Amino acid sequence: MFVEYMVVSALLFAIGATGVMIRRNFLIVLMSLELMLNGAGIMLITMSYYLGDVSGQIMFIFVAAIAASETAVGLAIAIMMYKKKRSLDINDFSALRK
Amino acid sequence: MAELIFFVLSLATIVGALGTVISKNAYASALWMITSFIGVSGLFVMLNAPFIAMLQIIVYAGAIAVLILFVMMLMDRRVLEDKERFNPQYLWAIAFGLGLLADITVLAFKFRINLSHIGENLTLNGSNTKMVGDILFKRYLFPFELIAIVLLVALVGAIVLTKKDKKEVE
Repeated sequence: MFVEYMVVSALLFAIGATGVMIRRNFLIVLMSLELMLNGAGIMLITMSYYLGDVSGQIMFIFVAAIAASETAVGLAIAIMMYKKKRSLDINDFSALRK
Repeated sequence: MAELIFFVLSLATIVGALGTVISKNAYASALWMITSFIGVSGLFVMLNAPFIAMLQIIVYAGAIAVLILFVMMLMDRRVLEDKERFNPQYLWAIAFGLGLLADITVLAFKFRINLSHIGENLTLNGSNTKMVGDILFKRYLFPFELIAIVLLVALVGAIVLTKKDKKEVE
């Protein structure tokens, strides 16, 4: 079963990475980032089970905390850009560079 | 039986992820994302991590998904349904994603680990939560405190980014 779990994790990570690259809506890009973090999380928990070490589960707790703070800041940026530009298109976000 | 449950859960996970990336409407995307998270949580239960499974439902399907849905509620509906879903360079992105998938899959098949400890050391007095708490507050106490600071910084950053400028208030 080890390989199957790893393949599910790889699929989730790859789908999330593709979503980050192809979508234009900023909120969906954020959701795809969450999918990538979840893919990494499945790999951590799988390793924790097959190696008989609970540290992987602790790592997942840290990943969840980082994911929550990343979402909070990302949504704050989304609200700011919506107020300024009335748009969530990723290509309008290049204004952040200036 | 375990294989059947695994198949159903991973199907929910993968279909949810595909739905998130493909669907036109951002609301539908968020609901597919919740499907995917619940599937992942079921996989965690199968891997003898019930505490982490509950954490997954509370933090991801609860807090993060509801946060995203609340932000969508504040925005115009027309902004959330985009006419052009994909970037013009989407073929390159799909090729990159498939390459990543092939890469990690080959690694998963080639990876050899010592399987003599499967499912051991995951419980303390028959409870997974006790074991997680024991390790978290003994061996990983310093990273735990650092995570608290990261969360505080994110909180302050989100407030500073969304607060009104003085000019707007006047």
